[in-house]
Formats: sequence, C-alpha cells, structure tokens
Amino acid sequence: MKKNFGIIAAFDTVPQFYQACEQVRDAGYSQWDALTSFPIHGLDYAMGVRRSKVPRFSLAGGITGFCTGMSFIAWLGWVEYPLVVGGKPMFSPMFAFPVSYELTILFTAFATIGGMFFLNKLPMHYHPVMKAPQFVRALDDRFYIVIEANDPKFNAAATRDLLAKAGGKDIVEIEE
Amino acid sequence: MSAPVHSPEPVERAAATASLANKFLMAGLAGLAVTALGLVVGDARGVALSYVVGVSYWVAIAVGMLLLIIIHHLTDSGWSTVIRRQFEHGTSAFTWLAVLFLPLLVSAWMKPGFIWPWMDTGHVIHGGHTVGTDPLYVKKSGFLNLPMFTGMSVAFFGIWIGLSALFRKASFAQDHDGDPKWTYRNRRTAAAGIVLTALSLSFAAIYWMKSLEYHWFSTMYGVWFFANCMRGAMAIGVVITFWLYHRGDYKGIYNTNQLHCLVALAFAFVVFWAYVTFSQYFLIWNANVPEETFWYNIREHGDWVWVGMLLLFGHFFYPFLMWLSYRRKATLGPALHVSCVVAVVILIDLCYNVLPALKDEQDQPLPFLSLNLLWVLSSVVGIGGICAWSYLRSFSTAKLIPIRDPRIVESLTHHEATAPESGAVPAAH
Repeated sequence: MKKNFGIIAAFDTVPQFYQACEQVRDAGYSQWDALTSFPIHGLDYAMGVRRSKVPRFSLAGGITGFCTGMSFIAWLGWVEYPLVVGGKPMFSPMFAFPVSYELTILFTAFATIGGMFFLNKLPMHYHPVMKAPQFVRALDDRFYIVIEANDPKFNAAATRDLLAKAGGKDIVEIEE
Repeated sequence: MSAPVHSPEPVERAAATASLANKFLMAGLAGLAVTALGLVVGDARGVALSYVVGVSYWVAIAVGMLLLIIIHHLTDSGWSTVIRRQFEHGTSAFTWLAVLFLPLLVSAWMKPGFIWPWMDTGHVIHGGHTVGTDPLYVKKSGFLNLPMFTGMSVAFFGIWIGLSALFRKASFAQDHDGDPKWTYRNRRTAAAGIVLTALSLSFAAIYWMKSLEYHWFSTMYGVWFFANCMRGAMAIGVVITFWLYHRGDYKGIYNTNQLHCLVALAFAFVVFWAYVTFSQYFLIWNANVPEETFWYNIREHGDWVWVGMLLLFGHFFYPFLMWLSYRRKATLGPALHVSCVVAVVILIDLCYNVLPALKDEQDQPLPFLSLNLLWVLSSVVGIGGICAWSYLRSFSTAKLIPIRDPRIVESLTHHEATAPESGAVPAAH
C-alpha cells in the first residue's frame, strides 16, 4: 500500500469553511492547506499564515544590484578604462547612480520572482492532492482542507475527528 | 497599540474640538505677532523670506490635500474614502492662506524688489549691472513682471479655493441626501482640477521661490514642489489619523489596511521626491553650465552643505529605510514618528530653497543657523495655527467620515489580503 499523504475534507459554504480553517489553525497544525476556487478575503488570517518572507529576498537583491552597479562603474573608471569625460572625475557616484538605480530595480525584481518560486517550491509538477478525485471540485464549487500526514500534530483518528467536528464532509485519506 | 484610555461622549468631543481650535487660533495669532515684531526689530528681508517659507509650507500641505482628493476621485479609489473627509477639512484653509499671502503681495507693490529682486529693474546685481539691463531678466520679463505675478498669485488661490469649495460642498451634501450624482460631479471637477492644480502649484513654486534667484533654470522645480506637497499632506494625514484614533473617534473605523495604504503611498513619494531632487542635481552637475551650477554652489557655502546632507539623509534615506518594513507602515506609532520627521524636513527643504537668497556684502549666502530660523518658526506656527484652526472649525461642521459615499463600505472593510501582525492597529474583523 502507498504511503498516506494526508486527510482531505470538503465544505460547502464559505463561512463554514472559514471557521473550520480557524479551528485547524487553533488546533496547532502547521502542514496543511485550504483549497478554494476563488480568493476568500481574510482566509490567510483564519489560516494563521504569517507575512511572506519574499521581501527579504527583494531587499537582498536590491542591495546586490546597487553594489553591482556602483562597483562595476568604479572598476571601469579607475582600473579598466580610465578616461576623462566632460571634465568629470574618473569615478563619481553621481553618474554611476542612474545605472545603479536601474540595476537595483532589476535585481530586486529578479530576487522577488526567484524568492517567490523558491519559497513556494515551484515549479512543482506533481502534488498528491491533484491525484485525488475531489480536487476537480475544488476548482469549481467546493472548499477543501488538506492536513498532511507529516504534520507533527497529525493523528489519523484525531485529525479526522477535528475535521468532522468542524463540519467537514466526505473525509478521506489521500495517498502520496 | 493600546486602546484609548477613555472615549468621551460626542458632546464632550465637540467641546474638546472647539477648545483645541481656540488654542490653535491663539498660537497662530501669537506666531503672526512675533513675525510682525520681527519686521521691526530684525532684518526685515530675512523675516520676509522666512514668511515666504511659512506660507509655502502650509500652501504645499493644503495643495497636497487637494491633490489627494482629486486623485481619489480620478482613480475612483475605495480605501481612501474614510480619510478623504479630513483632507476636505484641511483644504478649508485656502481662504485663510490667501489672506495670509496678501502681505507679500502688498509688499511687492509697495516696495518692489524687497523680496523678489527682479521686481525692481534698478536693483544692482553682482557685477555692477542692474536688473533692467540684465539679458537674463530682459528675456524673462514677459513672465517675471509685477502684474503677471499679482494676477497669477490671485489665480492660484482662486483655483485652489474654488476647487476645494466644490469638493467640500458636494461631499458634505452627499452626507444628507446620499445621492451618487455628487460623486459623479466630483469626478468631473477632479478631471479639470488635476490640470489646474498641477499648473498652479508649479507656477506658484516658480514665482514665489524659484524666482528669488531668477538667473537659475530648472525644469524639475514644479515637480519637486509637487513631491513635497504630496509628502506634506500625507504626513499631516497620518498625524490627524493618530489624533482621531487616540481620541477614540476612529475606533472601529480606521484599520491597519487603510493606514498601510496611506503610508505606502507616502513611501512611494519618498522615492519620488528623491528621484526628482536627484535628477535636478544630477542634470545640473552633468551639464556644468554656470547659470545653473551657481544655485548649488551657494548651497555648498558655509553651513548650507550640511543642510543639503540633512535633506539627503532626513528626507530620503531615513524615511525610506524605516518604511521599507511592513510593520512600520501598518503600525500607527512608527508611521507617526516617520511622518513627523518628514513634516519637519519638508520645512528644511523649503528653507534650503528660499533662504540662501539672503546674501551678505560679498554676495555669499547668509548662514542657515541664524536668527532667521526664529522667524521661520514663528511664521510656520503663525500660519499653521490659523490652518489648524480652520481645519478644526470645518471638522465640527460635518460627519467624521462620508457616511453615504457609495464607496464607504468598501473603504471600511478594506482588506489587503494580509494577516495583521501583533502590535498593529486592530483590524475591523
């Protein structure tokens, strides 16, 4: 038999689903997800999702871009090709600024997209939930909570109870 | 954010507002009296230019509030509906600002050249020539002459008073009848108003501040003033938010997401101000034309170089680095702290642009640290007191928020799809 990936439960209405998410959050689960076909305002709050860590990648990218621009132009002016243009110094942060500024933006954008992919573990070509037949209706008219078996608080019986008490229907285990 | 200690009843609040308004009026009159006294006991031109700084400062903030209202209507925004009412109150100050501008206009006619040297064609400039024989004045004289200055200044105030009166009337009327036609009307006013306001604020900056050194050229000047207008209005907007939140008025109305939006916009203008100011400096530095570089040269003389550094770090780096973090944008305390810094630095920015026009016998700028700072302070308190009084007087005549605006529910439930962090203003969940 294949390894158990987790438990999936279905919900019919948004309020019920929202409250179920709050209950799962309050029960202390960390490895779980909510499947909806449209964005539900405040659901991240109900799920206890912290703010994204992507801005840290962005900041690092921005600093890298700025330093790259400044140091590249300084190296060019002082070392590689010293040339007086318009009576200006060999290097000045003044004329290096527009390029450094553009590189700050460029590298910030790269780091943001890259960081987002990295944190989301993208690209992900296979996910066990996609194999479950219920998944189709998560794209249409139902709402699902999936609690993964690798969650430290996971207990097949207790987790099933929690979801049932929260109003979950069609609770089944899905395989890896 | 701790909850307000006590939330007084509406009647007590109204009384508190009225008493606060009186205090501001007293402070304003006292400030104006000190400034007037300065004209007698101090260096009269120094006092006059300090007064120009004071008028420009509060005009910038009021124009910024007008622009925020215009942009709100033009973009059909949702989130800013709840704070828009405070800006509508703020723009009531234009009438008083026009009155407070009159002394400058009177002095221009009574003593031409006293404040703006180009008004006196007999004024001797550096090198022994007079303004009247200076080609750089003669070429600009179609624009820089007293009737144009007067007519334009009257037109600026006419535009600002007219637009703010239209927005205020429509918004307050909607409180009573809830008719969406007022929203449509405001949108049309805003479409015309954005052009008129953009032109008038640019020309006001050119006439009142830039023309103090009429040799100078900069195509960025109006944009620079616009950036300060927006930043000033949003800084004062955060101060007003803080006051209303702590007094209890905004309890259950204003939430993390609205504050985050306001401060995020202010943050965008931190970068915008830096972009514009750097562009101005960079282009002049790069082109190296004497008619342009002299303006920065005199600002590297004496202690002005440190004022320039203060602007670089206080007007850009400090707010930029502070507001990079989400928490400091969405929490009232840090947002207020940075906003107050910005509000003070805008004043220093205006000083940096205006006060070096005061020269000594060697035609070098008088230092920044001087008695003139006292007159700047008295002018800012004087004019600001009158503006705050006007705001509070208007505040008590209308509802706290535009309760029947079609977008008010959207604004009250504004959601940024992000979980609030601990220490943030409690969201209205």
